[in-house]
Amino acid sequence: MRYKILTVDDSKTVRIIVKKAFKTFDCDIIEASNGVEGLAIAAKEMPDVILLDVTMPVMDGVEMLTKLKSDPALKGIPVIMLTAEGGRDNVLKIAKIGVRDYMVKPFKEDLLIEKIGRVIDLKPIGDGIQKAKSIFDPATILVVEDKPIIVQQIQDGIKHTPWKTTGVNTTGEAIDFCSRTTPDLVIISLSLPEEAAFMLFRLIRNNVKTKYTPIFGLVVKTDTLVVQQAQQVGFTSIVTKPIEVQDLEAKIAKAMNLDTSQRYFSIEDNVLLMRLPENTTAVMLNEIMNYLKPKTSEAVDTGIFRAVIDMHELKRFDMTLIKLIFGTMQTFRELAMQFALVGNPQIVAECKGFEDTKLWQFFDSTAEAKAHMSKNTSGQPALAETTN
Amino acid sequence: MPTCEQISEDLFRKTITRAVQDVFKTMIGLQADLIPLAETTAPEDESPKPPMDITGPQVVGTVGFVGDISGLIYLYLDAGFANDLAARILGMTNAELEATGDEVVNDAVGELTNMTVGTFKNQLSDHGYACKLTIPSILRGSNFSIEPTASATRRIYRFQINNHVLVADLLMKQGD
Repeated sequence: MRYKILTVDDSKTVRIIVKKAFKTFDCDIIEASNGVEGLAIAAKEMPDVILLDVTMPVMDGVEMLTKLKSDPALKGIPVIMLTAEGGRDNVLKIAKIGVRDYMVKPFKEDLLIEKIGRVIDLKPIGDGIQKAKSIFDPATILVVEDKPIIVQQIQDGIKHTPWKTTGVNTTGEAIDFCSRTTPDLVIISLSLPEEAAFMLFRLIRNNVKTKYTPIFGLVVKTDTLVVQQAQQVGFTSIVTKPIEVQDLEAKIAKAMNLDTSQRYFSIEDNVLLMRLPENTTAVMLNEIMNYLKPKTSEAVDTGIFRAVIDMHELKRFDMTLIKLIFGTMQTFRELAMQFALVGNPQIVAECKGFEDTKLWQFFDSTAEAKAHMSKNTSGQPALAETTN
Repeated sequence: MPTCEQISEDLFRKTITRAVQDVFKTMIGLQADLIPLAETTAPEDESPKPPMDITGPQVVGTVGFVGDISGLIYLYLDAGFANDLAARILGMTNAELEATGDEVVNDAVGELTNMTVGTFKNQLSDHGYACKLTIPSILRGSNFSIEPTASATRRIYRFQINNHVLVADLLMKQGD
């Protein structure tokens, strides 16, 4: 449900500023230029909150507020005064009629968002409905850690990604950063002095712009009490030191709801390529398994019936990988796809050592595999086991 | 009841300065500096000829306040500066602004004046001079002057904002 905010102000400028302030949030801004229009639109649209000016022609804000509060159907709508009319007496008089909050012009957009955010559950546009962002899209990651070497480890570990990682030492610097830039993810060291991590967590969660931002806690593996505390408070995930960067990268991708399929699956020359990265971890295997059927179906649906399983980057081979390859072959066979394997000498040698894989045939490169398959038009599906 | 004669020159100057600075900093992110009186006033034998220091087409916003004390404040801007301020406050490019015509610029200047006068009078209200704002209005032109009646006292303050001059012309009704 999209929230409705009614702004009642005779100044078009203020109404434009209000619209501008909320353009990145999932809400509709409705406008009225005086109290009479405001009452009519409030009755028709039933907004979730009204921003009301005081000095207006035709009907001023005080009269509109009085009429609104005497109408049983409308009196429940929260009203925030946004007016140049300040001064103690004015504020007290208007507060007696019944307003949720009072803002005196000039005002900062951030404060307006914060005050509206206390009344309605503002969500950034696309939250939940946005198309999945890809692993190749840029993102901003804020690391709050007073040990520069840890920040450096994180920056080095994910430098191959398009993510920009910024390290800050203190909660104050983190708050300053968040006021300038809304991070896509925050990593906070749980060992900051005086439980600062938990205070910062609450501040980030209470800010409308960052309340849905994933927050990771960073802690030494053995500090189980702090881990438990962070989980109870609601940290999105816990990253333990020493940091396993691949695990961290996978967690970040998951928390940001990124589509990581392009890391493993692509289409080249009408061939579905499934690529296993150099150090394929358990998390990655799980991701590949989850993407396998949808990606294969998608390829078949677009008329692609050839696939290459590319293992040439792999440094090791074990039972979990064998299970994955068997599962992949099975999926390809079910969809009558031709497929071929690509490997390096080490993987080829290791495969010879297993009973189940000793007959597997490998090509040296994807180009070779693709060329071979394009010559083979017999429709043979299990290319890997039938060619030499 | 307090009267406006009891308000010192120093309080007027500080109050209008704070109002202009608050509004321009908060809404547009611009620093406004009060130009010292010695640099702006005409020689003693000549009375100031408003709108001072601004030539060519001008946009003038005005808002009044009525109550324990009453008066009017005019904010004088050259037309180019008015366009620039409107573009900044509305988040529009100059080309987008030109396409909308004078109405949008007038409204933006009116609102900036409303906020400035509101901030000015709110400070005075907190000193015991309760009053209310009037609706803003705009004057446009190239060769005009606004003259107060004999029952009004006039104070003129100039501010440097981003290489432009903004003139605040404060007219107070006497005897309130």
